[in-house]
Amino acid sequence: MRRVASWSLALLPLVAGVVLAVLGRSGRLPGDRLFLSALPGDWALAAGVAVTVVAVLGLLVAGGRDRRWRRRLAAVSASAAQDRRLLLSRLDHELKNPLTAMRAATANVAAGSDPSQAAAVGTIEEQVLRLSRLTTDLRKIADIESAHLDRRPVDLTDLIEEMVDVARDLPGAAERDLVLDLPRAPWPLPPVPGDADLLSLAVANLLDNALKYTPPGGRVEVRARESAGSVVVEVADTGQGIPPDELPQVWEEMYRSPSARSVPGSGLGLPLVRAVVERHGGRVHADSRVGAGTVVRVELPVQAAA
Amino acid sequence: MSTILLVDDETAITDNLQPFLVRSGFEVVVAGDGDTALARIADAAPDLVVLDVLMPGRDGRSVLREVRQSGGTVPIILLTQIGESGERAMALEEGADDYLNKPFDPHELVARIRAVLRRGAPPSGPSLAGADRLRSGRLVVDRTSQRVLRDGAEVVLTPRATTLLAYLMSHPGETVSRERLLEEVWGWSFHTSTRTVDTRVAELRRVVEVDSADPQLVVTVPGEGYRFVGPVEAG
Repeated sequence: MRRVASWSLALLPLVAGVVLAVLGRSGRLPGDRLFLSALPGDWALAAGVAVTVVAVLGLLVAGGRDRRWRRRLAAVSASAAQDRRLLLSRLDHELKNPLTAMRAATANVAAGSDPSQAAAVGTIEEQVLRLSRLTTDLRKIADIESAHLDRRPVDLTDLIEEMVDVARDLPGAAERDLVLDLPRAPWPLPPVPGDADLLSLAVANLLDNALKYTPPGGRVEVRARESAGSVVVEVADTGQGIPPDELPQVWEEMYRSPSARSVPGSGLGLPLVRAVVERHGGRVHADSRVGAGTVVRVELPVQAAA
Repeated sequence: MSTILLVDDETAITDNLQPFLVRSGFEVVVAGDGDTALARIADAAPDLVVLDVLMPGRDGRSVLREVRQSGGTVPIILLTQIGESGERAMALEEGADDYLNKPFDPHELVARIRAVLRRGAPPSGPSLAGADRLRSGRLVVDRTSQRVLRDGAEVVLTPRATTLLAYLMSHPGETVSRERLLEEVWGWSFHTSTRTVDTRVAELRRVVEVDSADPQLVVTVPGEGYRFVGPVEAG
């Protein structure tokens, strides 16, 4: 409907011209010729003005359309995110009762079973526990995306140093070179407004990931810089790397690369990092080369977004 | 022997929890819905009720409200389904003595039952878990305003440390593991982050202990977790 209206509007001047021309030929308009003369420069000016007016009108219309599309896109992606949260919370909810029953049942079996079945019972217990954790963690990621954030100035220097200390105690960390590079001069990292606990969780997950995918003898570097109103934290490793076609998917929940199947994990580490960073108004990015390694970059704004 | 009333509409849960609790040394009565639960509380006089929140018909919260409004003091442990801590706080305000998130480790349930039974019902007033103010000696935590007072003067703690202190104080004498604290206070189960708990405990000690190197209130139980030492009263 709107399209018909705008086309009619665009064709209106031509139609009016045709009507007037026909009227002129049939002698119903004053018959004197109209002479219009101007200097070539003025003609050029008039032509320039006319073209610019048309171009500006075109740009305005295109801009309006762009804004409309962007609004529609934002609405669609917001409702998709909302749907996903709902699905996760329903899934979490529906799995809780069966998992509770299974944990009670395996506890009963464990108490009464003979030693020959101990391994089987142990496996069931472990796997049920893993399922419980998975649902809780999925739910938590959805919560981080929507829950209220307790913002306070966070000293990332302290936070990263502490998390690197924790990572040094992880199994296998001793066989890998863990290098920390934080600026002291001319000034240290500025405080970032955020939730210190969530940010430590994100940094811990990045370190955990880097160490997990780096072979013994490899190197993991943690660096941070202040850049254009943000603090950029990078965790780089000399691990196996991620193929380019899989790179965007590492940020999706429960995505596990076929080449990473041998390494234990839930596929929730990086999605959690993304949820935490985006909740702080920041961005995440990963670069990787197969056989060389991976660098994950996290940008956190120094000023809280309004 | 203590009698436990187990209320859940899922028979798969009651069928398996009942023998587990019996083997742990309790006598167990089962109810499958809210109305039956109220009838059993009246005629079986249980020492403690394990109550599921989400049930068709009369739900757990309604049973809890009914019991407390008619002056019943039987300790109640809620089995919550809702991940939101706000919802859990509401349940506690209505008079539950403790809560456990599904899915839980049945051994954890037994530990909670024993802890609540040991604590005993307070002679009057709200239970520790639901109290607005917790007091232990010169230390007072006001949950409604999220303030902590030492010798009547306000001390500064981050909101998370305040919640942590309130949680430990509402479970006095109980050893609480780092994992459980992460789940209850932070709402996480990411096992990479138990150090987070240590950081907040260190913050707590700097503020509430006389000498944070020699803690007398929030003590470390090596290999297990933390424990709040000392009597705690509501109000």
